[in-house]
Amino acid sequence: MPAEATLALGLIESRHLDALLAQGRPSLDVCARILGWPAGMPRGEAVIGRIHLGSEFCETLIPAAPQLRHARDLCEREGLGLAVAASTLSDHGISALSPLLDLLPTGAELVVNDWGSARLARRERPDLGLSAGRLLCKMIKDPRLPSEEWGRLYPHGINSGSFAAVLEHLGIGRIEMDAPPFARPADFRAGSLRVGVHAGAGFSVKGRACRTGSLGQAPEDKFTSGQSCRRECLAYVDSLVRPAAGSDELHAFQRGNTLFYAHSPAMIAAVGEAVDEGWVDRLILMGDWNENRRSH
Amino acid sequence: MKIVAPISRVEEVEPLAKAGAAEIYCGLVPPEWTERFRSSGANRRAFGNLSSYDDLAAVIDLAGRHDVAVSLVMNAQHYGEAQTEALLDMAGRFARLGGRSLIVGDVGLLSRLGRAETGLRLHASSLLACRNGEAAGFLGDLGACRVVFPRDLTLAEMKAVAGANRPLEFEAFILNDGCVFEEGNCHTIHLPGRLGGPICLDRYDAEHRRVDGRPLRDDEAAGFAANDAAHAEWLWYRFSCGFSVSQDGYPFGPCGLCAIPDLAAAGVSAIKIAGREGNLERKVNSVAMVKAALDRLNDAAGLRRFARDLRGRPDLCETGFMCYYRETMPARVW
Repeated sequence: MPAEATLALGLIESRHLDALLAQGRPSLDVCARILGWPAGMPRGEAVIGRIHLGSEFCETLIPAAPQLRHARDLCEREGLGLAVAASTLSDHGISALSPLLDLLPTGAELVVNDWGSARLARRERPDLGLSAGRLLCKMIKDPRLPSEEWGRLYPHGINSGSFAAVLEHLGIGRIEMDAPPFARPADFRAGSLRVGVHAGAGFSVKGRACRTGSLGQAPEDKFTSGQSCRRECLAYVDSLVRPAAGSDELHAFQRGNTLFYAHSPAMIAAVGEAVDEGWVDRLILMGDWNENRRSH
Repeated sequence: MKIVAPISRVEEVEPLAKAGAAEIYCGLVPPEWTERFRSSGANRRAFGNLSSYDDLAAVIDLAGRHDVAVSLVMNAQHYGEAQTEALLDMAGRFARLGGRSLIVGDVGLLSRLGRAETGLRLHASSLLACRNGEAAGFLGDLGACRVVFPRDLTLAEMKAVAGANRPLEFEAFILNDGCVFEEGNCHTIHLPGRLGGPICLDRYDAEHRRVDGRPLRDDEAAGFAANDAAHAEWLWYRFSCGFSVSQDGYPFGPCGLCAIPDLAAAGVSAIKIAGREGNLERKVNSVAMVKAALDRLNDAAGLRRFARDLRGRPDLCETGFMCYYRETMPARVW
């Protein structure tokens, strides 16, 4: 019998949670309707088992303590697993993350995307589950690759002993992966690590200087490190088209500081096979930070 | 502060040493690597590498005569198990040749090298995206004695990280080759130009949309148009002002010369010139620029005047878009 994967719903904002959980654990169809999912995101009656709150891509989007408490209480009520997702953090971001750790119940997870956050969490809250996020899961994910051979130039080291030893040293037992272009089921084997895969879209590259977040800045303050913003990424998304693209090139879009690519049917099938093989036990859905087009 | 400069050929060692480089770094892709792995992926760059151990030995010998230390880059974003083993072997050979340091971009490889007792110093590459004090401490735990800050840290952030990790050395970018995104969080390839080149140079057309499904208002559309125009201008500066140089051959583009006093005060002890793939003239002029600025370290105001006048185009400096550390701009010194 094929294995099954738990569905985790990634949310930047907690404000949709009340609507999502109004009738209990939401199905994929409910998520699609409330969050305005684009085509390509999964649909169906399968229900969400976990909530991942926060951003893997920008420390400006670290949840505020009231948001996390709200999510924590709702997850507890519905019996949902809970994780906080954090990006590559500056010391300022570490300072924002640190008090949130105290709000998480034992057994909750922290998705880390830099080694400092992992070190801090292991020291301060060893009772939390730690998951290495997809920024730490380095692999070639260029949506423009014309063939599979390009990805093999730099093979990933997710299943290498040296990488596993580093994660073990930090008490990290789980990793989150993207489906790379030309994905094969075996790409998701990660030794003794439990694996979650992001569904719908993968990320290719992120910046710190944010094009969208510069919208409200004076010209001299645009596109710079540590810039302030008005969280414009919560309101806008950019669909990207490359004039030189071939007809089968993966669709790309930008949300905030990050460039994503939509999964092809073949990539989705590869993830499905990896689930069936038992190599992937969790699918993480980009709930409110993809190419959403919510009705108004 | 030490000037850290790139080389790609043996012949570049002496002129760069004479120009003021205290350390040089290079990549190596020997034939056995290419034969075994069918790629040049021993480090981040497909080009601009030495191609033999003989050349590496010559580089180390020449550098030693000028009291210049040699670092070897092992800074691909990630390595598989077989590549890691091959790099451990390469590290041993580099050490026996008299090499000084390895610049390492993969955390697993760094961990292995940290336990390998090669006698080499380990520098955590900017690819490891060290942006906070805890991360620097962790890289030190793994064996790094120096951390190369990524391009996207502010001076205040560097100061805090360095201050919290005193036993570690810190290195920061000072000239050339700005990344649009974060190098350490880039999972793309610098494709050949015919396939689009680096993804940040490969111009995508963007259609801006509201996620609530409403059409953009006129003021929003105008805001995006102005932002897009500013972004295109910023990219031009980021890519070395159209990959141009001054009349004297000094490169335009990403530059942190004005910030040298702040970097020194922050605890940065080495400043890096990027661009292994550049030509020798560009490299020598780059080192000369940094050396001349560094000679004015004790006169911060004079150094800044010098840096802005150096290329004869202070108007380019005044946009702030060439700055690695824009907070050094006069109106915003804090």
